[in-house]
Amino acid sequence: MAMSVRRTQVVLQRAACIKLKIGEMDVRLPVPLLLPVRTKKRIFIPPVAKMNLLEDLKDSSREADFTQRHQDFERPINIGCSVVIFDPYIPPEGDARLSTLSKEGLKQRTEQIRQSASSQLAIRKIKEYDSQFTTKDFAKKAQEIFIEAHNFLTNFNRHMLHSLVTERCYPEMTRGNRYKTICWSFIESLEAPKVVHARCPEMITKGNLYGQVTVRMHSRQTLAIYDRFGRLMLGSKEQPKDVLEYLVLERHLNNPYGGWRLHGKIVPSWAPAKDPIIKTVRIPGPQLKPGEEFDALNYQVPKPEAVQWYK
Amino acid sequence: MAAAMTGGTAFIRNLSRLFQSRLPVLVGGPQQLLCLHTTSSLEVHKWERKNRVVYPPQLPDEPRRPAEICHCRRTIKYSKDKMWYLAKMIRGMNIDEAIAQLEFNDKKGAKIMREVLLEAQEMAVRNHNVEYKSNLYVAESFSGKGKYLKRTRFHGRGLSSIMEKVFCHYFVKLVEGKPPETEKRTSLDQAKEYVQSLKNRTIIHSL
Repeated sequence: MAMSVRRTQVVLQRAACIKLKIGEMDVRLPVPLLLPVRTKKRIFIPPVAKMNLLEDLKDSSREADFTQRHQDFERPINIGCSVVIFDPYIPPEGDARLSTLSKEGLKQRTEQIRQSASSQLAIRKIKEYDSQFTTKDFAKKAQEIFIEAHNFLTNFNRHMLHSLVTERCYPEMTRGNRYKTICWSFIESLEAPKVVHARCPEMITKGNLYGQVTVRMHSRQTLAIYDRFGRLMLGSKEQPKDVLEYLVLERHLNNPYGGWRLHGKIVPSWAPAKDPIIKTVRIPGPQLKPGEEFDALNYQVPKPEAVQWYK
Repeated sequence: MAAAMTGGTAFIRNLSRLFQSRLPVLVGGPQQLLCLHTTSSLEVHKWERKNRVVYPPQLPDEPRRPAEICHCRRTIKYSKDKMWYLAKMIRGMNIDEAIAQLEFNDKKGAKIMREVLLEAQEMAVRNHNVEYKSNLYVAESFSGKGKYLKRTRFHGRGLSSIMEKVFCHYFVKLVEGKPPETEKRTSLDQAKEYVQSLKNRTIIHSL
């Protein structure tokens, strides 16, 4: 190692520079140095040598008058959607569970969006940016977006899905789907979709508006999820279910090319998602006295009584 | 580990840019030409990729497809031949039985294999929709050679030789269901068959 250092030193000392005389000035032009180059990869570079190496590089680039390429230390980030459902809509209890003929049902039906002042304000703000915005048309459009997004989820197409669903909602929809097969179909809508809630939150700077509109949808859908081996895990393909959903759609209003995208769903507190049935069941064993052993071969599992029950 | 300079051509091109290596750079040639067992650190091995296969949904009249879970552990500091004995022992066993047998085995590889089996069982229940953790059996179990390290072994009289530091991989495949019935042949059966074969001899071209 010492020999190689010595070799380099010798070469550097003898480094000839062409001395020119331009006028009366002595100009020293650098001559290309022929240094013995180390070709074996140096695993350990002592920190002092490393610093010198970097400095040398900088010096040579300055002499040759190379400017450093523009380096992006800060890349601009576009925030396309807000993180949270701002001021979520609290669905009234018993929504779609009461018959419309009862007093409670009538009350719910007559409850219109005009009651909520802040929703009205929000809708007015949205109409500033989008003049053709109406609640009726929007509700229909929302349902279409919902159906299209879920169709793209079944025949998985992540590019189209990103255009129909916000960045916050996308991982919620697609997490855990990679090794599963989802079969979903929309059969019919039981009630016309309705806009129930609207908010226009601002993010970070004033004037950066995001419009969030909640749409209530009552429909019939089928959902079947198959695991990695094609075995039915959850749901059923033939049995349709009536589903009441509160969809939240969002749009970045300042962005003239933005569109309304599905942002999330609101799960009311009175109707939480039920856990799927636990298939494995533990049957309590017989009470053993101390010293007794459990005889697994001759133990007969007690059969449950045959009792009538209603589906 | 010795710098794993084997890999895809892109990997090698990167290396030759950063350090002046002396490896022959194959431009756009297939990986197989370089040498066997070439997988760079970013590529996934074949055995791990077996868990990524997704089958289409089964029709209701088809028999239920049993779940298969492939698991492995790489670069175990043990000999592949010694590991083979343990792997052969648990082939075809129910997973609980296999774990119990390995727990009371004195070999070094038994402890590692037991950990691998427990991990695989856990994975099966959590990720691969296996309902009962005991309803699994060991369908395939084998060991493979890992990358060996070379060291110097000093002998008497100033002689030295290369000592190989031996590594192995262990692969296991668990399948859902009861272990398949193996035909049990006793020594008496074998003896009877032998006697029968003797009796079946005929003399050809006889009167």
